[in-house]
Amino acid sequence: MHLDSAQEKMLRGEMGEAKQFAMEIVSRVGDAVGADRLIPIKSAHVLAHYSSLHDAGVEVLERFASSGGRFAVPTSVDPASIDLQNWRSFGVPEEYAGQQFRLCDAYAKMGGMRCWTCVQYQVCNFPKEGDVVAWAESSAVVFANSVLGSRSNKITAGMDIACAILGLTPRFGMLLDENRRAGVTFKLGMRGLTDLDYRSIGFFIGRNAGARIPLLDGLPSSVTSDQIKHMGAGAAAAGPVTMIHFPGITPGSRTAEEASGGEKTEEIEITRSSLSDVESDLNQTSELPDLVAFGVPHLSANELGELARLIDGRKLKRGVKMYAYTSSQAYDMAERTGIATTIEGTGARISHSTDAEISPLKALGFNTVLTNSAKLAEIVSSEGEIRVGYASQKEIIEKVTT
Amino acid sequence: MKPWLRKGKGLVRGSAHGEALVSRRAFTFAHGVDPATGVVTDVRSDLRGMNVKGKILFYPFGKGSTTASSWFLETVRLGNNPAAVVTEAADLSAVIGSVMARVVYGKEIPVMTGVPRTAYVGLNSGAKVFLDTGKGEVRAEG
Repeated sequence: MHLDSAQEKMLRGEMGEAKQFAMEIVSRVGDAVGADRLIPIKSAHVLAHYSSLHDAGVEVLERFASSGGRFAVPTSVDPASIDLQNWRSFGVPEEYAGQQFRLCDAYAKMGGMRCWTCVQYQVCNFPKEGDVVAWAESSAVVFANSVLGSRSNKITAGMDIACAILGLTPRFGMLLDENRRAGVTFKLGMRGLTDLDYRSIGFFIGRNAGARIPLLDGLPSSVTSDQIKHMGAGAAAAGPVTMIHFPGITPGSRTAEEASGGEKTEEIEITRSSLSDVESDLNQTSELPDLVAFGVPHLSANELGELARLIDGRKLKRGVKMYAYTSSQAYDMAERTGIATTIEGTGARISHSTDAEISPLKALGFNTVLTNSAKLAEIVSSEGEIRVGYASQKEIIEKVTT
Repeated sequence: MKPWLRKGKGLVRGSAHGEALVSRRAFTFAHGVDPATGVVTDVRSDLRGMNVKGKILFYPFGKGSTTASSWFLETVRLGNNPAAVVTEAADLSAVIGSVMARVVYGKEIPVMTGVPRTAYVGLNSGAKVFLDTGKGEVRAEG
């Protein structure tokens, strides 16, 4: 990969230690993926949660922060592994919280927005069509590419911070027109899709697209941006998906032909039985859970309102905890509008600045989790320690409340 | 076993040898490999219960969380990392994880791509594998 003279200087350490460390990572990755050069980014989104970064990630973030690293572009951050405000009342061990706070401090020192959410595009980081960004968080990358029409590769931990510090990313992959064309078409033949169906559709696409860019044909116009958010999250959890073309929604893809560049693609039909297969794969237990988790990815203010409407006047059964995970910003709104009081009046809690899949669920004493998130169901079962059930929000509320 | 040799494209350079560990499904280190042991925990992986430590790890493509490179790096920190990774389609999390391993811990873990699943025929987990990105090849001996 070609570096200009300023970038060469960074690599030699003439612009400080942090930029050198960042350039060493970014230039090596750029070489590996065959990028021709570095290009500027409009924003970054990075990871700073202890459950996935582990002690190695703490070392890396602190090395960046203590050597003078400062973000060169607006940078948002994924949720933390603990509720940053109320972690004690959620039973998080002191030592664990300590490691998370080391990450928080390093991130804050570098000048990032302290939003702690995986739906930054609903909260504080809004790229426009055509903007190049370097985002971590697989579900957000799918949303950026598929709905906003901005361009991001699925930037993974370590590289995310390096790109944010340089304000640059290697030019390759999803930044290039030729790699964004649809290579496989999923056809939705059925009507009357439920909220859960969208999540299962996403998972099915992720499972079956392989390394090709999928296109989804037949999406009803009633689909909401929240439903697309959860569909993308399911797809990215199940496979290497970074984008789904939704003709009529995705900028530059008004039609299927436009999305595929006129190339003929393999067609895969999504039927009721495809979705039943996904459900039975993800739904591994029907026992009464000790945790119900909503909001992987984070619930929007609208979704908190919908939850309040469904659960109003009910009471959680004994032995069941229910956490609705959201951003601090949506939580504030829910508090001001009385939505939070309605939800919490049932015995449920709203947890903000963290999320279920990156919480130490086992250490918090949970053995069975029930969720409507395909992403969470996939992740929890992958760790193999906790049994997981997968059902619609409505069914879950029926099951765990009186 | 018959000699097995395939050409591939080196993404992160280096050479390595070790036993093959071959997955035919989407693979991720994120929530899928326990860094403290190197054991694959993912219930949807055909490698569940196997250990990646010191292996030449083959899989078609990645999946899931962008945290995968930090799970990878933690296995490196704890000495439980694979010796090399070989994929069909480039898996950015393996590339980034390997680059971080080099830059942070000085460890070389070559990454090769362009070896399709269909080429796994005749290659079984446990076979002795030699990988050299300089020659752009990976070969196995019975």
